[in-house]
Amino acid sequence: MINNQKIVISDPTLRDGNHAVSHQLSVEHIASYCKAANAAGVTIVEVGHGNGLGASSLQLGESKTPDHIALATARENLINSKLGIHVIPGFATIERDLKPAIGMGVDVVRVAAHCSEADICERHISFSREQGVEVWGCLMMSHMISPALLLEQARKMESYGAEGVVFMDSAGHFLPEDVQQRVETLVNGLSIAVGFHAHNNMGLAIANSIAAANSGATLLDGCARGFGAGAGNAQLEVLIAVLTRLGYSTGIDLYKMLDAADVAENLFIKEIPAIKSVSVVSGMAGVFSGFMKPVSRIAREFNVDPRDIFFELGRRKIVAGQEDIILEVAKELVQRTKKGNQ
Amino acid sequence: MKLECQERTRHDCLRILDGRDAALDPLRRSNLVIVGGTGFVGAWVAEMIAALNDAYQFGIKLTLISRNTDQFVNHCPHLSSRADIALLKSDVRQLGQFPNNADWVIHAAANPDVRTHASNPLDTASVIVDGTMSVMRTAERLGQLKKLLYLSSGLVCGAQQATTSGVKENAQGAPAPDASFVYANAKRFAETLCSAARAQSRIPALVARPFSFIGPYQSLTTPWAQTTFLADALRGHHIRVLGDGQVIRSYLYGSDAAYWFLKILTAGQSGDVVNVGSSAGITLQDLAQEIAKNFEPSPEILFNTAPRNTGRAAQLLPDTMHAQNEYGLSVFTPIEEAIKLTVQWHRMMPLDK
Repeated sequence: MINNQKIVISDPTLRDGNHAVSHQLSVEHIASYCKAANAAGVTIVEVGHGNGLGASSLQLGESKTPDHIALATARENLINSKLGIHVIPGFATIERDLKPAIGMGVDVVRVAAHCSEADICERHISFSREQGVEVWGCLMMSHMISPALLLEQARKMESYGAEGVVFMDSAGHFLPEDVQQRVETLVNGLSIAVGFHAHNNMGLAIANSIAAANSGATLLDGCARGFGAGAGNAQLEVLIAVLTRLGYSTGIDLYKMLDAADVAENLFIKEIPAIKSVSVVSGMAGVFSGFMKPVSRIAREFNVDPRDIFFELGRRKIVAGQEDIILEVAKELVQRTKKGNQ
Repeated sequence: MKLECQERTRHDCLRILDGRDAALDPLRRSNLVIVGGTGFVGAWVAEMIAALNDAYQFGIKLTLISRNTDQFVNHCPHLSSRADIALLKSDVRQLGQFPNNADWVIHAAANPDVRTHASNPLDTASVIVDGTMSVMRTAERLGQLKKLLYLSSGLVCGAQQATTSGVKENAQGAPAPDASFVYANAKRFAETLCSAARAQSRIPALVARPFSFIGPYQSLTTPWAQTTFLADALRGHHIRVLGDGQVIRSYLYGSDAAYWFLKILTAGQSGDVVNVGSSAGITLQDLAQEIAKNFEPSPEILFNTAPRNTGRAAQLLPDTMHAQNEYGLSVFTPIEEAIKLTVQWHRMMPLDK
């Protein structure tokens, strides 16, 4: 039994969950959920487009609620909880996006990059740090590099001024022992806090989050009802319950968290994340969960098996932002089938 | 630079030199070269030389060699415009020659910014290793060189845990051999190059290992604890402390460090290695509180939302008994005073220069 060790919860329901509704969360959704999460005592509530600040676009999907309105709404309703944002350099620029967001009262900036590209975060992390807000580094698709290389990248973020590093299982690919190995490597190699963000493609989001906590991670991400990209994230209310049973302290009121999850389900979770067949395949293939919708659509269009597309994308080590390759892969699969039939 | 800032740094130097100037007599009417001479260390040594020349008529000729001489002219016009200080623009790796009459050389060329080490590890290593090789080859041609002081790093012995006392000069540890520690490993190898130059070319080289410093001329944009706390407070923000604030560091004030370097240069024996820093540890929480005391209203001190759960680099402290016993050196400016002076100086300077 863990003796009341503190785990900080960051809740990206209103950010990662935006992927699941094509970024169509409204002002009312944001206000209601923020109020409920705040009442539950969630430490950090993340808000914004699924790909973070400044990412609303034709290519990635346009947000129903512009960043500045989403942030103002959240700020108004988060009294005790901290307001967090996800920032991917390139989508978010310092002058156009980050500076105004911090000016609107963002408390926690999480600067994210593909797991091998921490270098691109230097300016955004340094700027946030200089503005006096809390800044974290996030390494996405972290299954694509070894624990040793993950540590190298995390150390870069530490040197830029990050106060913690979260590694993300964006594809829901990890097994608990993978998570344990990475957390231990990071905890032993960094002077800053370590966090973990799970996806549930293999049904292991909670188990992986617990493996992270047991190995020394002190920050965990979780979403109400698991509302997030693809098969969803670690289901927050379940995570709180399990952490409580294990003896961890999150500072979150379980009943009120359950109420917040009900609010989310009733208001904006049209479809509770489930582990569909393609989710299992994308998790095994190690492909970003957010590819689920475009892969399914293109597979239908070309009459190919979406599972074959996922495995081929995984073989090619495709990452978010390379969605155009899906089409190429589908075409290739069609040609291969034709050749096979000749 | 404002006149008040110049007066303060001059006062800092004179305060240190009062009663101690005679110990630097070997520098009288000599020629000193500082390679990498326009950073924190170079600026403070130049301040000290200017004070020795003006107040004690030492008659030292100082040459500062750096890639960033333009920046030095902008930041320190009161030094760059002096007749006894010459600037020479050059990359340390491509030194043509030192002034032929150089008596003393201080090699301080390296970029101490950890962000550069992380993003450009090969360049970081090249400046240190190729730069030191270049300095040694150039120094071979000097006919009247008395001493060459290499400024290494307190990190060359690797991570130190809080359970041990200060790092001694003969400590056997080493940094891990990966890119994250490229600066420390390159500095360590550069020490080997100094030793090789002594063995092969009879260059009278000795090593100073700087630990952490504080004071004017330190950029507040660097992500070190003391600079970020100062920048937070000067901007009117809360002071943000990473983790639980129990990490221990120690700080030596700029003018103290300049005097230490000159004393070690002139009094040291070829081959000696000397820690340069303060052995008086302070937790980051206490450091933040000391800095906060200098502001009204006092900034709130915030700790990281998620607790740190690691045991790495819990302490970085030098053992300074060698400097104390062999060179008579000690901390002249206590940390409380050092912080006060630094805050006062930065208040007169525009932030984020």
